[in-house]
Amino acid sequence: MALLQISEPGQSPDPHQRKHAVGIDLGTTNSLVATVRSGSAEAIAAEDGSVILPSAVHYASEGITVGAQARARAAADPYNTMLSIKRLMGRGVADVKSLGEQLPYHFSDSDGGMPTIETAAGPVNPVQVSAEILKKLAQRGRQALYGAEGGELDGAVITVPAYFDDAQRQATKDAAKLAGLKVLRLLNEPTAAAVAYGLDQGEEGVIAVYDLGGGTFDISIMRLSRGVFEVMATGGDTALGGDDFDRTIAAWIADQAGLGTNLDAMTQRVLLDSACAAKESLSRFEQVEVRHGDWQGVLDRETMASLLDPLIDKTLRACKRALRDADIGVDEVQEVVLVGGSTRTLRVRERVEGYFARPPHAEIDPDQVVAIGAALQADVLVGNKSGDDLLLLDVIPLSLGLETMGGLTEKLIARNTTIPVAKAQEFTTFKDGQTAMAIHVVQGERELVSDCRSLARFELRGIPAMVAGAAHIRVTFQVDADGLLSVSAMEKSSGVSADITVKPSYGLEDKDIARMLQESYTHAKEDIALRALREAQVEAERTLESLLIALRENGAQLLEERELSELEHAMEALRLAHNGGDAEEIRLRMESLNKLSEPFAARRMDASIKRAMRGHSLDEFDK
Amino acid sequence: MATNLTHFEIFGLEPAFELDRSALAVRYRELQREFHPDKYASKSEREQLLAISMAAQINEAHTVLRDPVQRAAYLLKLAGVEVPPEQTTADTQFLMQQMLLRERLEEVREEPNPTAALEELAEEVDGLCRGEQRRFAETYAAGKLSEAEDSLRKQQFLVKLQSQVEELEADLFGD
Repeated sequence: MALLQISEPGQSPDPHQRKHAVGIDLGTTNSLVATVRSGSAEAIAAEDGSVILPSAVHYASEGITVGAQARARAAADPYNTMLSIKRLMGRGVADVKSLGEQLPYHFSDSDGGMPTIETAAGPVNPVQVSAEILKKLAQRGRQALYGAEGGELDGAVITVPAYFDDAQRQATKDAAKLAGLKVLRLLNEPTAAAVAYGLDQGEEGVIAVYDLGGGTFDISIMRLSRGVFEVMATGGDTALGGDDFDRTIAAWIADQAGLGTNLDAMTQRVLLDSACAAKESLSRFEQVEVRHGDWQGVLDRETMASLLDPLIDKTLRACKRALRDADIGVDEVQEVVLVGGSTRTLRVRERVEGYFARPPHAEIDPDQVVAIGAALQADVLVGNKSGDDLLLLDVIPLSLGLETMGGLTEKLIARNTTIPVAKAQEFTTFKDGQTAMAIHVVQGERELVSDCRSLARFELRGIPAMVAGAAHIRVTFQVDADGLLSVSAMEKSSGVSADITVKPSYGLEDKDIARMLQESYTHAKEDIALRALREAQVEAERTLESLLIALRENGAQLLEERELSELEHAMEALRLAHNGGDAEEIRLRMESLNKLSEPFAARRMDASIKRAMRGHSLDEFDK
Repeated sequence: MATNLTHFEIFGLEPAFELDRSALAVRYRELQREFHPDKYASKSEREQLLAISMAAQINEAHTVLRDPVQRAAYLLKLAGVEVPPEQTTADTQFLMQQMLLRERLEEVREEPNPTAALEELAEEVDGLCRGEQRRFAETYAAGKLSEAEDSLRKQQFLVKLQSQVEELEADLFGD
């Protein structure tokens, strides 16, 4: 006989009702997956007990390996072992060339501007490599949540560095799509760390998250107020991290040992390894012995501090800039959180404590803290927890601008603007009868287009032919809560919406992703058509359900009889299509229903704003 | 556009220049708690898109209302007066004063104590700004829109000067 299951009040009585979501830290060197079980978030370990998955993928003609096994092959088979692939996400062939010396791969150009790497298993791109890492993590998550019988994940929150630009975020989201994950949100790593510390439980105040990794530094200043995290400013240095510590210490050893500066690659590697070991030992000991060949010397904490201080100074200057962007003083910061392996270095902690004049939080393993925060947010977003106590308001890290005459940028959305954000800009035609125009969107703070990152070129077509200057095209740029840009356009006098073709500068076009998905399905022997149908049906069910609830709530008040009957008609048509089993038909019916319900949705928004206001205005706003 | 309400209506406020900033912040968080896309993460695509555009409008309204100069320009826009940011003022006395302030800014580096000189200048500019804001509040409330418009133009000048002062400040402190 089955035992009766009794759930806590307020919790779902059926354990299968609970949604399964994970948080993923997709790192440059290491990746992790975490989830919330019995109310607390923890990193999920592999069978061998390790929670860290090295971000390494090995391609061989006989198959793909991911993780520690792949990393182990790096020395013997460097061309087919992908390491640090995160550095290539959303990057172009030219960027790759500047990183070329550090990455041994055989690159070939592809039409999207995205680099392709030749491997023993055929050509791959960075998005595909990241997708392999994500698949492995997702599999780990499924195993932990469902056990051997398996099941689907309901969604994932994936973290990205706060300074990631649009192209890098888009590449990350594309990788998740390829891995078959539903992305609930791309979350900034520092924000995730603040969430992990449960600082939302605390009182109000300003929090600084100091994130020093192997190759990058990130600082975020946020304001916390009754469970709402508002990111006020972010900043950092994309080329400053623990690796620079190692290089500086290695140079000191070389100098002390009298090796000169012209060292071969092998010696450099050996020096870097001893430097890194010495750095780590000094977190525990006052001094360490360092050897190189016949030379032997002592490195103490004081000497290391004098070597690292100039680098740490750079991070503190970035902190100062971020505080200024946030318009607050350092004495207003109430909590400091440390993230990233390089914050294990004692000197970093001392200096951070000195600058902010308070001991920083470092209780949670700095390697796991980001994944844990992502898991907590995933649990809220998937609907397991009432989100009443946690809301994250993030910002766009770099300004978005448009190319104007003479290769100059015109800023459209300033950095540190809270997202989502939408800005409209009007354009007009230059010639009589002009029916198309091109818009180049860039991201960065510099004045010259060539100094900013090119994101995409948009081509507007179908502008009604008029005399020069008569057409007014309103182009709306929208950045969603993931920090991703989308663009729409409309000619104002005619109301004609112009067609937009997006050509991402370093990304994949939708058709590329569709093709890669198709390829990966052929491998997995899954039927892509069946999956597309299922997706369309789920979306149709959601649409119908939400509309039904909305109609029940205030359809009678907000709609005229004719509008109501039109809506019901369209809903019935969608229901029929849903049962019919043709994905394309479902999409079409859904589109027309959505269009038809647009005015109702807007009226409902107005009504709910007014409702949300009731009971406030009198006591709070009248002075 | 998810809603046709004005920025003031979204925040449940009467259109006015004077405004309680802390109440605005409280109200902002309440609105985002209700309409932020995170609240719609497991809903239909359509609802998610609507939430994005709603949250974007709330953010825009918040940005405009909390900044005195943008708020002033928005009030005039609601009243049918558009003031482009690059437009100049005909008040020669004001322009002269601006020129002198700018000259002082350029000479700050040569002062024996540049930090103190810059601080003094910053305070003076801030004071002028506050004065214009008071004038805007009064003239707008009295329905004297052309005087309010003139005050807004002057505020735009002063804000530009303020940002130049801040830039130099950052420069002087070496980052």
